[in-house]
Amino acid sequence: MDNSKHIEKAQKIVVTGIGMVTPLGIGKEEFGRRIFAGDCAVAPIQSFDASAFSSHCGAEVTDFQPRNFISVKNIRRMDRISQLTAAAARLALEDAGITVNPDNRDRIGIIMGTSFGATDITVQFAGTLINEGPAFVNPILVPNTVMNAAAGHTSIELGFRGVNTTITHFAVSAETAIAYAVSEIRRGAADFILTGGVDILSKFYYEALTRFHALSPLDENIEESRPFDRNRNGMVAGEGCGIICIESMESALVRGRKPYCEIKGFGQGSSPATPTGWPENPEGVKKTISRALTNAGITPQEIGAISAAANGGIILDRIEAEAYAEVFAENKSGPWITALKGALGESFSSGGVRTCALALSCAKGALPPTCGLYTPLAQLKFVRRREEKIEINNALLAGISFGGTYVYLVLGKCPDA
Amino acid sequence: MQTKRRIVITGLGTINAVANNIPDFVSALLAGVCGIGPLDLFDTDGFRCHNGGQIKKFNPHNHIPQHFPLKRMSRADMLSFAATLEALTDAGLYPLPQQLAEDAGVVIGGGSGGLREAESFYRDLLNKNGRHVRFSRLSTIYCASSADRIASNLNLSGPKATFMTACSAGGTALGYARDLIQNGQAKMVIAGGVEPMCRITYAAFNALKSLDPEVCHPFDQNRAGLSLGEAAAILILEPLEAALARGAKIHGEILGYGVTCDSFHMTAPDKNASGAIRSMQAALRDSCLVSEDVDYINAHGTATPVNDAMETRAIKEVFGKRAYSIPVSSTKAMTAHTLGAAGALEGIVSVLALEHGFIPPTISFREPDPACDLDYVTDCARRAELRVVLSNSFAFGGNNTTVIFGQYDRIGIRHG
Repeated sequence: MDNSKHIEKAQKIVVTGIGMVTPLGIGKEEFGRRIFAGDCAVAPIQSFDASAFSSHCGAEVTDFQPRNFISVKNIRRMDRISQLTAAAARLALEDAGITVNPDNRDRIGIIMGTSFGATDITVQFAGTLINEGPAFVNPILVPNTVMNAAAGHTSIELGFRGVNTTITHFAVSAETAIAYAVSEIRRGAADFILTGGVDILSKFYYEALTRFHALSPLDENIEESRPFDRNRNGMVAGEGCGIICIESMESALVRGRKPYCEIKGFGQGSSPATPTGWPENPEGVKKTISRALTNAGITPQEIGAISAAANGGIILDRIEAEAYAEVFAENKSGPWITALKGALGESFSSGGVRTCALALSCAKGALPPTCGLYTPLAQLKFVRRREEKIEINNALLAGISFGGTYVYLVLGKCPDA
Repeated sequence: MQTKRRIVITGLGTINAVANNIPDFVSALLAGVCGIGPLDLFDTDGFRCHNGGQIKKFNPHNHIPQHFPLKRMSRADMLSFAATLEALTDAGLYPLPQQLAEDAGVVIGGGSGGLREAESFYRDLLNKNGRHVRFSRLSTIYCASSADRIASNLNLSGPKATFMTACSAGGTALGYARDLIQNGQAKMVIAGGVEPMCRITYAAFNALKSLDPEVCHPFDQNRAGLSLGEAAAILILEPLEAALARGAKIHGEILGYGVTCDSFHMTAPDKNASGAIRSMQAALRDSCLVSEDVDYINAHGTATPVNDAMETRAIKEVFGKRAYSIPVSSTKAMTAHTLGAAGALEGIVSVLALEHGFIPPTISFREPDPACDLDYVTDCARRAELRVVLSNSFAFGGNNTTVIFGQYDRIGIRHG
């Protein structure tokens, strides 16, 4: 084999496994069926009493049975965020056809993103400390208050021992984790990495969001997630976990696995913002997209699809739409844009679930519709009402966070898939 | 095949229990100063232990110019920003040229973040049943806030990320920052870690019975646990050619790193040391070095009975007979264990050891342990010409990180 080709092939990173625990179902089959059909998961909150708050809806994972995925001896040590992660990681590994064994376990890793981790456990721990004193706090809770708990528990449950780390950077946690995982496979630090994002909807977090005046309805209108809509009135809180299994194209070929898609590159960037605030203009987003395109070696004209970060937030959606209008001004037909947070709500580390969805899109040749989009705020090619059948050679996965942090991933159909 | 770009360290900044800047830190490391003592940041009533490595006399106004508003900055935010300013100044990059800021990023190993400030918030929330509590106080509670403040204050447009893997976060942040430059995502990265002293974290270690009631004694027969500390530690990373082109002072080079997982237990290290062995081996591989190249090991050395024996075992496994002739020390006996900042703080220790030619001592060591039989450089600092230093960080969740640093102008036979 020609050596230069060999190196080129080894550097291609592909997605070969998908694991999901989401408000639109558990596992890629149910999720895929519902997201492409335009199902919306937003409904009145069931897991706690939200009657005292100014908002009452969310996108919750309602039918999750940890016992179906996790061994009994480990379940009791895990909080909910770790359980969702372990379940999604198991599904992704199985989907990729990987059995962990003593020969491969040191070359399988996990890199997770979580925006808020188990804040509910931290609040519980702090509550005992404050009300009852240091002697009464429960040491069992301690490991779960650290944000790397989900990845740690998952590696114990599934038995792999390679690279293991956790990134927390608000709403780009998952996208950053995935970008790092791609770079780790390229660096040769692991053969397979499970990567994605997880966040849960707890009462504390829900109350905090209502107090930050972030949740729909911010007016007298209907409570709904309406990405890119002129009448959007705030986001709807969500939760879930989405994990992909990535490896080199060469490894997938050797194993005879057909990848969902390739991850061709990524770009990361920032711009100034106040704490929990948004930047004033789309410059940071534009710069980051350009970094991602350069990294992937493609031009704006080649982008055919975007999975947007828009969540129905007043500023975020405007900045994102402005950025696309400018970046793709030269691209006459423009890329198709879908915003899945209309159906899934905002779970902050949604990049995991959205990357799974985009990988399914690449394989299927279709983009799911944007729920809640009635009157678009800009002249862009939004996927509305029903799925759009298109061949996805190159697509962007957008990660935009308050505080001014951006990550864009470039995904695309595998050339020989 | 394309050779990897070499990434060097051109600036250092720190605030910790033994020093509020780098020159004082060098003196303290040489003198073997213990920064662990009674805490006064919060009431330690009801705890098994009352000591810690608290930063002495931190006045943000002495470190941060007035035009940066301190409002809505947590203690962690202020400490990390102060250390950043010192590191940038040391690198000759303050004020930061606008063109460089366009491609400059920040990577922080986070820890408790704004948990110290959050405690008072939680108290109000519990006591007032949620009414009249200003949730805007939560805006700096998460540890990602420190990187956001650094980037926003300095107008950075490059990548930004926060690692949260407890005690290995600072080390992983350094490795990741190197990768960002090698991947072409950034031309300069402000990388490091920060950990503020806070009561909730202290209560967690107290509940796990991990704290030495007095002062920690790494590798000592009677070691009884760790001492908790606080610190900010920031390093400026650039490509070698950029540093040489602008005539910057080069402290050292990041040669490589490795990250592994025990997959054993959430809070206890694997006694077989498999994760630690593999993380050192991975770092050596990534550095294109062999075990013979390592001149000094800055150990994780927390002084918990299990960790120090496990780490000793791992070092013997990786270095074979040579393990007995490689100096090993734990500087946590001086700085205390600074959790999320520890990997970065000990990264700075490693770089200073290379640059100034010394091995900082494992102070507070009294009695040898048969299970810990390496050369721990007890008593006082030792002069030594070093080319390569290896630094370990092991964490809850079974996360292990090893980073290897070198003298940039004495490496080159195997590397590059």
